[in-house]
Amino acid sequence: MFTGLWVAALLVILAFLVIYPVLMLLLGALTDTNPVVDGLSRSLSHLSVANFLTVLANPNVGEALLNTLIACGGGTAIAVAIGLFFSWIVVRTNTPFKGFIAAASILPLFAPPLVAGVAWAILGSPKTGLINTMFKWIGSDLRVDLYSMWGLVFVFGIYYAPYVYMFTASALRNMDPSLEEAAEISGASAFSTLFTVTFPLIMPAIVSGMLLSFIVMLGIYGIPAVLGAPTNLNVLTTYIFKLTNWSPPLYNTAAAVAIILMVVTGLLVYLQQRVLSGRSYTTVAGKAFRPRSLDLGPWRWFTFAIGMLYLLVVVVLPSLALIVAAFRKFMFIRDVASLFDMRQYSLVHFESIFDNPLTMRSIYNAVEVGVITAVVGGALAFAIGYTIHRTRVAGRGTIDLISTLPVAIPGLVVGVAYLWAWIGIPGGLYGTIWILALAFIARFMPDTVKALSTSFLQIHRELEEAAWVCGKGMLGTIRTIVLPLASPGVLAAMTLLFVLAIRELGSSLFLYTSNTMVMSVLLLDYYEGGNIGKTAAFSLVQTVLLGVLIGGANWLSRGAAQGNVARTG
Amino acid sequence: MTATLEVTELRKQFAIGRPAIDGVSFSVPAGEIVVLLGPSGCGKTTTLRCVAGLEHPTGGEISISGKVVSSPERGVLVPPRSRDLGMVFQSYAVWPHMTVRQNVIYPLKHRNISRADANRKVEEALALVGLSEYADRPVVALSGGQMQRVALARSMVYRPQLLLLDEPLSNLDAKLRLRLRDDLRVILKQTGMTALYVTHDQAEAVVLGDRIGVMRNGKLLQMDSPDAIYNRPADLFVANFTGATNELAGTLVTCNGQYGVVDFGDGRQGEVALFHELAPDQKVRVALRPENIAIGRPNGVNTFSAKVLDRRYQGTQTAYGIELFGKRLEAIELGTAARHQVGVEAPVSLPRECLWAYRDSGPVSHE
Repeated sequence: MFTGLWVAALLVILAFLVIYPVLMLLLGALTDTNPVVDGLSRSLSHLSVANFLTVLANPNVGEALLNTLIACGGGTAIAVAIGLFFSWIVVRTNTPFKGFIAAASILPLFAPPLVAGVAWAILGSPKTGLINTMFKWIGSDLRVDLYSMWGLVFVFGIYYAPYVYMFTASALRNMDPSLEEAAEISGASAFSTLFTVTFPLIMPAIVSGMLLSFIVMLGIYGIPAVLGAPTNLNVLTTYIFKLTNWSPPLYNTAAAVAIILMVVTGLLVYLQQRVLSGRSYTTVAGKAFRPRSLDLGPWRWFTFAIGMLYLLVVVVLPSLALIVAAFRKFMFIRDVASLFDMRQYSLVHFESIFDNPLTMRSIYNAVEVGVITAVVGGALAFAIGYTIHRTRVAGRGTIDLISTLPVAIPGLVVGVAYLWAWIGIPGGLYGTIWILALAFIARFMPDTVKALSTSFLQIHRELEEAAWVCGKGMLGTIRTIVLPLASPGVLAAMTLLFVLAIRELGSSLFLYTSNTMVMSVLLLDYYEGGNIGKTAAFSLVQTVLLGVLIGGANWLSRGAAQGNVARTG
Repeated sequence: MTATLEVTELRKQFAIGRPAIDGVSFSVPAGEIVVLLGPSGCGKTTTLRCVAGLEHPTGGEISISGKVVSSPERGVLVPPRSRDLGMVFQSYAVWPHMTVRQNVIYPLKHRNISRADANRKVEEALALVGLSEYADRPVVALSGGQMQRVALARSMVYRPQLLLLDEPLSNLDAKLRLRLRDDLRVILKQTGMTALYVTHDQAEAVVLGDRIGVMRNGKLLQMDSPDAIYNRPADLFVANFTGATNELAGTLVTCNGQYGVVDFGDGRQGEVALFHELAPDQKVRVALRPENIAIGRPNGVNTFSAKVLDRRYQGTQTAYGIELFGKRLEAIELGTAARHQVGVEAPVSLPRECLWAYRDSGPVSHE
């Protein structure tokens, strides 16, 4: 009786969070009526595939889809090359300061895409970019133009390499080194060993890292918005936003394009899951693997230099660009001497952004949304995770399925779906801070459930059973045994959710109003307003804020790791 | 084709701790199987990996059929792929993304061998290990024992000068291990390959090796035929490691060539075998196998009275704890009947050729 109610309650919540918005999105794609003007009932009576087919036939949509595939495909190729190379350097060679390079290789994960885009716009703009200024100074005729497909591919590639790196590095680490030694003994050179044994063996990891980085790039709005806008280069995400920003807004078309984006993403996610669940080449070995590192000789300084170059490109240059732009009164830099002219620098942009009441409000709003998302989303994810993994109630398979669905829905599509779900309901959620929080909870649900589940899956079942035998009920056991033991992991997962929520841009774009403006959207506003100084200053503020939060999250999850040791015994 | 291996004063010092290999010298004549035996951490695997070139020694010389492949002093270090040797790993190390045939043909692809020749050699190698029918199966579909046979075929298909085997049977279950152990010796002898084999299992060493080298703490203690290792162990550790686990302390009274008389305290004296120069009045330790203690059968000079402390019936044999000279000793009697009662005093006889006396050089820790 109680369990039935419990499952029903979870299913209702999930339907409300996930199913209803997606259905409304589908409805939007299949009608030509305006939800605000016409209302829901009229929309329902105008159902037809015609609208969707018209959108499919639209050459602009085709172009945006093609651009998306080229940008993500090119970016993924670069990401695989970089990720694979770095995982090999870090795990398999004696490159100096490997640990440092390993840490540097995953740094780009923390950069909000919009901030990265802004930084590279400052660096690589064809006329005023810092890189071109430098080229001019050294007398080179070389010019770069990142406001192009090449620029998009390049920035995508360097920022999403960590996804490939994480998969391939752990695969390399878990690989029995004697597999490579056997090749060497057989007469293969180090190079030939790499291509006939090492890479084929970690192919599943390479492919799934590749698919994941492609999937993430598909859903990114910030980078193409910044680098593509000047030359009118549209990808699906930027095109969808454009559609909702026209007057009158083309909500139906936006919904249809969002469906296309969702279908492409869904297919790739399905493919990735297939690869991951396929045969993995883990092998049996009696003893723990001795780390095997290839002696590169003098070449190890070469690999080290490449590591430093990567760090320079993804961290140092963009940070310097942001700092220069944020503190400079005018972005026009005539020559290098003027770059170092201290009289050109001031705090004017920071004063200006904090003079704007919207700035503080957006930070406050972002934190508020973050807290709601973390607390409500964390609690919900715990309930779902526990129900799926630790109970045998009927219906838990459905709960699992629905809560995993958002994996295949890019943030921007979640935004459009929530827009469709609530814009037509007067006095509803639209325009409140809650619509943002609910959208984030839905969007990050799969990650949160996964992170939380690992934290309590490590608690041995017998610890719970012992409490039951002692006479505690199910809820009492969760409260007195499971929660205290899992608390570091739960806390870490919630902090992660908080961080993800306050940097999320894609879904916020469609759901904010002037009262519920959040940081990431305001940053885009500043950028689109054309003031690069204010944009850079606000980017720095956000980066520092995020840095502090991520540091805090790390600190909390370190506590979780220590807690785990006590629990596994 | 098969060659001698010469290892001289080999040393390997890792960044920290005592040397992993501390001056090991031995040679393996062509066609012989030498087994390095010792507890884990004794340096046997490191020695093997130095011979393979996977580990870089810090001193000494290794030469294969007269050609120096490693000599840090002279700056010589031939990479593994140029040493022309085969190796079988503990974890099999068969490549899971290939079929059996692809695994075995791999080394031939890195040598200038015609396709037809290569195919013929693969067939031969697979026939040798009894896997001809499995040639086109993916290796992941095989059992552990079959995988190890693939690894063996792969390491021998190009008839290397020298075959190295690093605990190849230790990941297999007990029954399979016994069968593959016997097969392995037949296959190695059939091909006449020179082989260096590393294991911690004495039974494996005795069955496989033409000679056995016992190692401990990076040192080679004794290199001899299995028979000599078992009947004339060079020191207390080798004796203990190969099963002579009982130990009595005493003082040498007289010595007379191969034998001597030891006082075990309180004037109780017995005759013992001497493998080394020992002088009278020297403190000695005497090693003795449990199965060489005969309970209830007074026989010969060394007959004493002992008390049966406990009894553990083990089916085909019975293990007793007995008290002799105030010390507890283990005794084993073969047979399915347990003949002696706990608590009785019984005569025990210790044949003098089974009592091995060694210089008492302080406490010895037995791994």
